[in-house]
Amino acid sequence: MPSLETTIAASTVDSPVSTPAVGSSDDQDLGLPDFSSSTYKDAYSRINAIVIEGEQEAHDNYISLGGLIPDQAEELARLARMELKHKKGFTACANNLSVTADMDFAKEFFSPLHGNFQAALAEGKVVTCLLIQAILIEAFAISAYHIYIPVADPFARKITEGVVKDEYTHLNYGQEWLKANLETSRAELEQANRVNLPLVRKMLEQVAGDAAVLHMDQEDLMADFMTSYQEALIDIGFTTREIARMATAALLG
Amino acid sequence: MFGLIGHSTSLEQARSKALELGFPEYAEGDLDLWCVAPPQLVETVSITSRTGKIIEGAYIDSVFVPEMLSRFKTARRKVLNAMELAQKSGIDITALGGFTSIIFENFNLLKSQQIRSTALEWERFTTGNTHTAWVIAQQVELNAPALGIDLSQAKVAVVGATGDIGSAVCRWLSQKTGVAELLLVARQPQPLLDLQAELGGGRILSLEEALPEADVVVWVASLPQGLSIEADSLRSPCLMIDGGYPKNLDTKVAGGGVHVIKGGIVEFWQDIGWQMMEVAEMDNPRRQLFACFAEAMLLEFEGLHTNFSWGRNNITLANMELIGAASLRHGFCSIGLNQVPQPQLAAV
Repeated sequence: MPSLETTIAASTVDSPVSTPAVGSSDDQDLGLPDFSSSTYKDAYSRINAIVIEGEQEAHDNYISLGGLIPDQAEELARLARMELKHKKGFTACANNLSVTADMDFAKEFFSPLHGNFQAALAEGKVVTCLLIQAILIEAFAISAYHIYIPVADPFARKITEGVVKDEYTHLNYGQEWLKANLETSRAELEQANRVNLPLVRKMLEQVAGDAAVLHMDQEDLMADFMTSYQEALIDIGFTTREIARMATAALLG
Repeated sequence: MFGLIGHSTSLEQARSKALELGFPEYAEGDLDLWCVAPPQLVETVSITSRTGKIIEGAYIDSVFVPEMLSRFKTARRKVLNAMELAQKSGIDITALGGFTSIIFENFNLLKSQQIRSTALEWERFTTGNTHTAWVIAQQVELNAPALGIDLSQAKVAVVGATGDIGSAVCRWLSQKTGVAELLLVARQPQPLLDLQAELGGGRILSLEEALPEADVVVWVASLPQGLSIEADSLRSPCLMIDGGYPKNLDTKVAGGGVHVIKGGIVEFWQDIGWQMMEVAEMDNPRRQLFACFAEAMLLEFEGLHTNFSWGRNNITLANMELIGAASLRHGFCSIGLNQVPQPQLAAV
């Protein structure tokens, strides 16, 4: 692990372009948090647990989706395996900081979305299941990982950089399926968005305090999520006006 | 394909524009909603040069409003996300308009090349400052004589002389126009001394000292808050080119012998079928636009897919000549005093 840390410390993002010396930004950047402080570790025990639980549930959800789309079962199983690999990576991140993930908190955190996924699964609603797992959760994860990477400890940073690349594959899977089936899926998609997007906002609000301890800004998280979600919906075939209507429903409600 | 990144001039105006463009939910949203809203590719447009060449472009609204200027992280994110959207939309050359380029420079966003999964390719962007500087210099050259000001005898004050646009305008006026004397005004002493050495002339003055002496004042700095200018203390006639952003000089001083022109604004030879320039409060939004935006169009017309204007104080006279010639060839002219006839293109 120490060798990983040194490797990553050397790879901090540097612009290849020469930069002017003056910038009013420096004063306002928080910089890196103190990873060894008890406050950090306390917050990390919940954030890390959410990530571990999220990866586990993602695995389970992709396996379940294989039951609804049997001709895709093999591909979905492949995606599911990636999620388990991520889970292992994030478990190692907690160990690296000597933190015990608060899994009870994480299960409770995911329970509303988990419940909605299970209900849709029981009814055979592929579109709703895909929106929840492959679009909403993946877009949420991608934006959170992107915000986390610059303020992560060196070990977690390396792990997360690897994970985020994979998550695009998952988001892309959901996009492609929904794009191909948009006309028959549209009404169900809009309904699923209406029900589940407000849950994502609540989840973000719920972790805002812990995220702030990790130097992850709530507005950044929400804005990045909105960007990822908009990109996914544009790719699926919605117009920007339809997306504004769908996305703001969560924010204004 | 060219791109323009712009924004509304206030939250109130942005909300009313959102309603007009079919985004009623944004129209109802408060500043917090606007802070998290992603950039929008609002419209695409086709432009025909006087030469007959047709190019396609897109207008991206960064969903930034000036009320966000005090929120550093929000402002930074707005600019970078809009640039990411431009790049992901496959736009070859995009101009940063309004506060966008100001934020980019002042917040040192060159450090922030990686936006999520996208590495921004700087060669796809231009500040448009070369064209803006050329247009402002043209506005001086074309309009001063119409007011009876002989530039070879005149003192021209440049307020914000050491900035990217200001220094380029100084270079042009001293070397190409041959004005009698440049009055150099800026906040920081050392860059002023450097500029004076580079120009081989020019007198360094405070704003209060320079204004009463100047026959022409070129403003390329934002106006100091609470600035009041006594028209009586100025020369008559006095030509003022308002090249700052936002353009509010005419609310501070006008009338008498003072003539204010919106600086760095060009007019195209025919109507452009877009809606977005109305948000910039142009007098003729179908034809008028910021010269920095026009630079992206010119680079597209000319097939120059490069960050033509980039960094600080890199604008050369050769590049100003190049973009100026392209500007005239493709059908742009600088806006001037109402009574001043525009130059005949055939004569250029």
